[in-house]
Amino acid sequence: MKLSVDIAGLHLKNPLIAASGTFGYGVEYEGILDLSVLGGIVSKGLYLEARDGCATPRIVETPSGLLNAIGLQGVGVRAFVHDVLPRLAHANTAILVNVCGDTVEEYAEVTRILDQASGVAAIEINISCPNVKKGGMAFGGDPRMTHEVVAAVRKATRLPVIPKLSPNVGDIAVFARAAEEAGADALSCINTLLGLAIDVESRRPKLAFGTGGLSGPAIRPVAVRMAWQAARAVKIPILGIGGITSAQDALEFLIAGASAVQVGTANFVDPGVYDSILEGLREYLERHGLDDIGAVVGTLAYPGDAPSCDTP
Amino acid sequence: MPVNRHVPLVRHEPLGGPYILLTFRHPEIALGARPGQFVMIKAGTSAEPPLRRPFSVLKTNATDETFTLFVKVVGQGSRALAALRPGDLAQCLGPLGRPFDLPADGAEAIMVAGGYGIAPFLMLSEELRRRSRVGRVFYGGRTAGDLQVREPFAGLGVTLVPATEDGTLGHPGRVTEPLEAYLDGGGTPAALYACGPDAMLHAVARIAETRGLPCQVSLDPWMGCGIGTCLGCVVFTQGADQARPKYRCACTEGPVFDSRVVVWSGDDASAARRAGGRP
Repeated sequence: MKLSVDIAGLHLKNPLIAASGTFGYGVEYEGILDLSVLGGIVSKGLYLEARDGCATPRIVETPSGLLNAIGLQGVGVRAFVHDVLPRLAHANTAILVNVCGDTVEEYAEVTRILDQASGVAAIEINISCPNVKKGGMAFGGDPRMTHEVVAAVRKATRLPVIPKLSPNVGDIAVFARAAEEAGADALSCINTLLGLAIDVESRRPKLAFGTGGLSGPAIRPVAVRMAWQAARAVKIPILGIGGITSAQDALEFLIAGASAVQVGTANFVDPGVYDSILEGLREYLERHGLDDIGAVVGTLAYPGDAPSCDTP
Repeated sequence: MPVNRHVPLVRHEPLGGPYILLTFRHPEIALGARPGQFVMIKAGTSAEPPLRRPFSVLKTNATDETFTLFVKVVGQGSRALAALRPGDLAQCLGPLGRPFDLPADGAEAIMVAGGYGIAPFLMLSEELRRRSRVGRVFYGGRTAGDLQVREPFAGLGVTLVPATEDGTLGHPGRVTEPLEAYLDGGGTPAALYACGPDAMLHAVARIAETRGLPCQVSLDPWMGCGIGTCLGCVVFTQGADQARPKYRCACTEGPVFDSRVVVWSGDDASAARRAGGRP
């Protein structure tokens, strides 16, 4: 039974990747989880310099979800290359690095530094973080800026380049095509949905930053729909993200057209989630008489022109 | 090293009011937890509520490989835990976090607990007894019913000093009042330990600072993961050697902090960056 996938020049032993911002730099899991069970991991977003992140409170639980405004606290790309990458050298999983920037030039510079380092399998471009004032969603909310950032990163590396798209847009297909034209090798769909939770007693936002990014099972149907729309809009592969906690959830994204998936908020809830998802994927393939997870990708039987809501 | 397991509930002991003792089987926590450490736990595997909750370990039992939590039922997560029956499973990761440092030789350990903040001090008292050290617990709450964990301290050689704001048990008033009176009495050098609401922790930190006493506080911010990846539980702290202040994870660099490194809300211009309070 083949669970491995080859996408965008990346070989993944299985289609499960830990999503950026939910898995630290991977090293936090030493002794808790064997990283080699994963297809890959995506680092927490990195700028050139270290970042403090947002004031607290930074997280609040919502129905079947988590609203966060961490604000891309991080060690900076040089400390990552110097201190973290060597510790991941024997992790036996693909290391994708999430790249951030306040400017187009910063994205390119962070990417150049990673391109020179050893042990990086791909660059994920963060043009969709809702919790920073500059960069982030500002780039991912404008197709021309998306094109510009992706093209600049493309020029800065030979590694696979994977923009992470924002759901906080009208038509994700426009952004998917802009990224593809700019040279993206794959697309991560989607980042968190912009949300707001209010403490009714104080009449203030529950998060210090104000708004936050919503993740977890609460957003899954939105995420599956957007991954499906992006997959139909472009020829490059899609990494589906949004509220995956089980094999069923992962299969929804694969059937919708994603070639692999990223698991996010579930990492906080259960570090052992990968074992149960992999077991569920194997069981599904067996039950459906399939021997390759790739055979599931993009097999959605979506109602065509015939059925209509108006038809009795 | 923390270990993630599905753990069966072994014992379910309701105390008065919203308080309950829950005992689970988890060998690594039972054998490895140090005073001040915590676990991340969630009842069952349902999607709601999404996150595990942090709880200090109240006590461990190496013989039957169990640990016990002292839980106050306040919301969805604790309610789901309280609804567990023996044999039901919870998801549990632990032991986690930085434990208390023991007091310097010759110093008396003075523990100050507010409400369910008593939890980490039973193990600390047991550890003190093993080392033939002396200790004293100032245990405060709004009313007598909030001071549920008193009997287990009997026989540990620590003196328990209750205080209730409504005067139904022990000293009538705030727990810091008998604490200050005791410290004013002089005698042995003291090392302070505090766990409870932020306002109480800050008050104890000030008392320690005024008297030049060492003080360790156990903080209780909202936590997402318990292992330093979500960065949700950070506490604003002083940097070492005049370095600028920085955020530290309560889960991995705490929950126990030296009270002098914590930037308490209201302390200075950084007030907006609250030090570890619950949202």
